[in-house]
Amino acid sequence: MSTLEAYNMAFKNGLELEDDVVLEEMKLGESTEWDSIGHMTLIAEIEDAFDVYIDSDEMTEFHSYQSGIALLQRLGVDIRS
Amino acid sequence: MTFISIEFLLFLTIIVGTYYVVPHRFRWVLLLLASYVFYATLSIQFIPLLLISTAFTHVIGILIEKQEKKEQKKRLMWVGVSVLVFFLGWFKYFNFVNDSLRSFAAWSGFDYDVPYKEIVLPLAISFYTFQAISYVVDVSRGKQKAERHYGYFSVYFAFFPQLVAGPIERAKKLLPQLKTEQHLDYDNISYGIQRIIWGFFKKTLIADRLAPIVASVFNSPDPTGSEIVLATMLFSIQLFADFSACSDIAIGCARLLGIRLSENFKQPHFAVSIADFWNRWHITLSMWLRDYIFMPLAKGKKKREQIYGAILATFLVSGIWHGAAWNFVLWGLIHGIYRVFGDHTKQQREKMASWVGFDRVPTLHRWWKIAITFQLVCFSRVFFQSHSMAEAFSHAKLYVTPSSWAPSGMIQAIQMFSLLDLIIFLVVFVVVHLFQHIERTKGSAWDWMARQSAVTSVAINLFLIVSAFLFGVSGQGFVYGGF
Repeated sequence: MSTLEAYNMAFKNGLELEDDVVLEEMKLGESTEWDSIGHMTLIAEIEDAFDVYIDSDEMTEFHSYQSGIALLQRLGVDIRS
Repeated sequence: MTFISIEFLLFLTIIVGTYYVVPHRFRWVLLLLASYVFYATLSIQFIPLLLISTAFTHVIGILIEKQEKKEQKKRLMWVGVSVLVFFLGWFKYFNFVNDSLRSFAAWSGFDYDVPYKEIVLPLAISFYTFQAISYVVDVSRGKQKAERHYGYFSVYFAFFPQLVAGPIERAKKLLPQLKTEQHLDYDNISYGIQRIIWGFFKKTLIADRLAPIVASVFNSPDPTGSEIVLATMLFSIQLFADFSACSDIAIGCARLLGIRLSENFKQPHFAVSIADFWNRWHITLSMWLRDYIFMPLAKGKKKREQIYGAILATFLVSGIWHGAAWNFVLWGLIHGIYRVFGDHTKQQREKMASWVGFDRVPTLHRWWKIAITFQLVCFSRVFFQSHSMAEAFSHAKLYVTPSSWAPSGMIQAIQMFSLLDLIIFLVVFVVVHLFQHIERTKGSAWDWMARQSAVTSVAINLFLIVSAFLFGVSGQGFVYGGF
């Protein structure tokens, strides 16, 4: 599984999303699933999937699908398909 | 010397005047002296505790930073947090725990002979302890460098504008500002004065005018249901006016010195949900609880249901922080339950709103949510305001009894206002709502004020000052000053 697929999988599992959701357009607070509680479950999934630690400041930086990729890249995870 | 006094205004004028005259390298001495003098005028007997807490936090911060291993840092962090919590616990919670254990022993037939101790709550201890804990934790996490300059650190710990009732500031925001040379700036002085005037207006014309009316109902041995409903809603307005006025004055005083404190309120009674309410009410406490209680507890949890426990625990801490009594514990728990229930039923509520047709009229839907949230907050405040659990339950029962909401009863309850009070509240209501309308439509009422001509600006401020002088009442301390 590529890192991009793992990232998408973490998103779907963390936020309990249906298969037809367009992940690339997702933003924190703009969907029922990705609210402040969903954010915590998503962070837990991503930490597990990539074996990284995301601290509280980084959690606030992570506010969209794209910013999550940028954050992971900064933490040393190369997200690619 | 409280914020609402001529003495404080004179004190502030002298400090601000001197601040811009003395060289930057000596300003921390002035701010430290001012902070300790201010605290001493309110609670001189607890100056030693403030000094000990400051010294302890300073030393433990440096010791934590000197440790090489993460585990050692963490261990020392826990020592620091435990000692700070012990200080807070001893003064604030000893008698609460003692009384609770005694009651439990009497109920269960055990012997319990720890006597009652006469312990006075040190002023501001809840605020400066939380600020100290955030510093110690941030140093251990590597997010904050341990401050080596004892003077600047002491000013951060006891900065007089926010010492008594916040905003609860993080070291990374306040310390760099204290160390930066601030220059006399017209915008800062003008903004600071306006925030102070606005704070005085809200405190003397709303909070302190409402306080005796609310107290007359909650102190009454047999209030009617309608009186409880009306007094509880008025208490919500009183509490907001009181606490936000305190924050306005704190922010204004700091700005006169060129220092920007965090905002503590964002029109909380226009919140559309309980989660939204806590993003708008006592924001610096909410952020503190989020970062140092909720996130560590919720970290690593992959199911929403697992996070509910963290939410309930966080709101329990919030309740206990507010007061050492079971009614505050219950108040916190009620908010936790609101939050969990709100999350668990979100999808069903959305479906129901859609079925009713609310999704076709979003404005109506929004105001419906605002009204429901306000009522939920008011109901919880029955527990916040009552003097005992028995009284709280009795008042809560009255609050939810349908007959308490009957128009005839409400009209009778309004008679608790004098005609003068009623006229003043109507005028103030219009003024405050104009302010809030500007906030909602223009972004910031203060930026809007800055764009007005000098004549308009002076006229508005004169109106606020004259109103406060003519019709304002004072003499009540700030509600949150007692926490």
